[in-house]
Amino acid sequence: MGHPIRRAAFYFTVGVISLILVAPVIAFMINAFAFRWFYPQLIPQEWSLQAWERLGLIPRAGERSVSGFIDLWMSVPDVVSALWLSLAIGVTVTGLSVIIGLPAARALGLYKFRGKRIVEFMIITPTILPPIAFSLGLNINFIRWDLALQDMGIPIDLAGSVIGVSIVHLVPVMPYVVLTLSGVFANYNPDFEAQARSLGARPLRIFWDVTLPSILPGLFVAALFAFLVSWSQYLLTFLIGQGRVVTLPMLLFSAAGTGNNAMIAALSLVFIAPAILILLVTSRYLSGESSAVGGFGRV
Amino acid sequence: MRHFKATASAMLLGAASILGTAAQAQDLPGFDNWDQVLEEARGQTVFWYMWGGSDAINGFVDRFYGEPLMEEYGITLERVPLADTVDAVNQVISEQEAGADGDRGTIDMIWINGENFATLQQADLLYGPWAEGMPNSALVDWENPAINLDFGRPVEGMESPWSSAQFHFMYDSARLEEGDLPRSYADLGAWIAENPGQFTYVAPGPGAFIGTRFVKQLMFELSGNHEQWVGPFNEELYNEWSVATWRELLSWEPNLWREGETYPVSDADMKSLFANGEIEFAFTQSPAGAGPDIGAGLIPPTSRAFSFDNYMIGDFNYLAIPFNAPNKAAALVTANLVLRPDRQAAQVQPQNGFCCGWAIDVNRVTDAGHQAAIAEAMQNLGDAAADPGRLAGALVADIDAEYQSRIEADWQRYVLRGEPLPE
Repeated sequence: MGHPIRRAAFYFTVGVISLILVAPVIAFMINAFAFRWFYPQLIPQEWSLQAWERLGLIPRAGERSVSGFIDLWMSVPDVVSALWLSLAIGVTVTGLSVIIGLPAARALGLYKFRGKRIVEFMIITPTILPPIAFSLGLNINFIRWDLALQDMGIPIDLAGSVIGVSIVHLVPVMPYVVLTLSGVFANYNPDFEAQARSLGARPLRIFWDVTLPSILPGLFVAALFAFLVSWSQYLLTFLIGQGRVVTLPMLLFSAAGTGNNAMIAALSLVFIAPAILILLVTSRYLSGESSAVGGFGRV
Repeated sequence: MRHFKATASAMLLGAASILGTAAQAQDLPGFDNWDQVLEEARGQTVFWYMWGGSDAINGFVDRFYGEPLMEEYGITLERVPLADTVDAVNQVISEQEAGADGDRGTIDMIWINGENFATLQQADLLYGPWAEGMPNSALVDWENPAINLDFGRPVEGMESPWSSAQFHFMYDSARLEEGDLPRSYADLGAWIAENPGQFTYVAPGPGAFIGTRFVKQLMFELSGNHEQWVGPFNEELYNEWSVATWRELLSWEPNLWREGETYPVSDADMKSLFANGEIEFAFTQSPAGAGPDIGAGLIPPTSRAFSFDNYMIGDFNYLAIPFNAPNKAAALVTANLVLRPDRQAAQVQPQNGFCCGWAIDVNRVTDAGHQAAIAEAMQNLGDAAADPGRLAGALVADIDAEYQSRIEADWQRYVLRGEPLPE
């Protein structure tokens, strides 16, 4: 790295890659505040908060006091409720997927058994199969089960409910979680657990003090994948949620057809903000040095 | 379950009594009278599935229907935004397949017209007939074929009108003089030849009915008579005039935007071309003309609306109730509220952000307060609206839905792909 030309090339490459990644966000930023930005204006001549007002995130002119903001936000605009719902579903799905995926990943990472290839293939299938192929049928089945449950006097809805949507999000999420975690377990040495056991530790304590710290970096990566995959689901949420489970992607798709660029850009910013925030917070687990995937934490 | 059976038998009885007394106002299947509807509706939540692409329309619905429904009738309005109405239709079909009948569905009301209505009505998936049984349906001119036919298909009380729309154009008064505007398709053809590259239209196709409508109107003008197009699909008539229509559109192509190699695929795309000065005309369906789009900052503030002198298609859009709607009473109360004259007056006022025009015949309104609201709305369409008299003079009804699918398929074939014309 010492050579100046090599260093320049390095910074140039990093610069270009960052630009490619950041440029769309900059375009959103400009569009979200531009008003009547028509040809031949090179940069917008008029700026406006109208998109944000229409989304109900910023009060109209004259009401932009602290109490104005509080009143508006307390009235829970569609975007805010969609944001909370997306977060709630994302966190639920992440938690469930890790609980389900951990034992499977451990088995796949540590043991050799007959049919292991087939099991691995089955776990990857959701990434190959288009969601539309199974979700239409699943929706009808969910409705049938709901009716059966109702007849038994159990008023639980799967179709058109947050529960149903969370369950169906697990389908595209599971492959990422299981594959990431099985990579971690492939490099995992269960002898540590044996050692702890020989020192008299009970299973729960072994998991808490030995297993969990070892796999933690990989677990973070898996959870991040799970959250982001759930966060960006449109089709599954729409079909199983029957339009009633209004998450952020639902609002975004609905706005995309209107041709109101400021509005689409503003919604997009709201949509990507949490993802960027999470990436920033967890970035230290993602850097190459932490050897996250297949890596080993500190016991 | 018992409740469902009771409802089903009541619906059968209701249907039977309709057959017996066809001339009278309709009964409401499952209900004895309007008071019973009001009573059952109190405390219900109405799940109203509607295209949600316009935040202005969404806001209008929440404010002008959501608030009075809660305050006056004790009904909670849950507006469910759709990217496309056909999604709601598919949902009802899925529910039927899964056996969710009676009142065990999820959708109470759908904003609907045309093909989607035809699909549900043909599959027998609608509640009704009910639309002529509500108190405010007396304000609707049910004799008007533009209302009692939806894309040529008899409504028969299975849906109730919400509002109306009429196709017309927009131009930018900063770039064109009002006196130079084309007033017919013949004028437009000449204008295109004189102003190469400055006109295009939305490609007819699924989801772009406005482009289909533009082509349909040309077909009316070429044939010289709209009346012959009313009624069921007529193969001979279509064959006689469609080829001339493709020939005319092909003759425009060298002078169209990008020489007709490509066309905007949606109304939003076309509006964006217009706003950026690439083309000189855009389409609108609003009685307020360019007003709503100016307000949203989508087009220049100097935009104005104008109409040709004839063959501007106008139609109505409706509310329908699925056969398995769980809250039919609340849906009925909502559909009735939509027709109340003060709500109708509110929906045509541009500053309220709704898209469309009257569903009621304003001359039938007798209440003085409501009459005042109507008069105020009439005077308040704004500068960006087209001359209402000229629009009314040019009004024609839309025609059988079969024409639409034929035009879309044939336009793609002969105009877009340039396959040789028949004969």
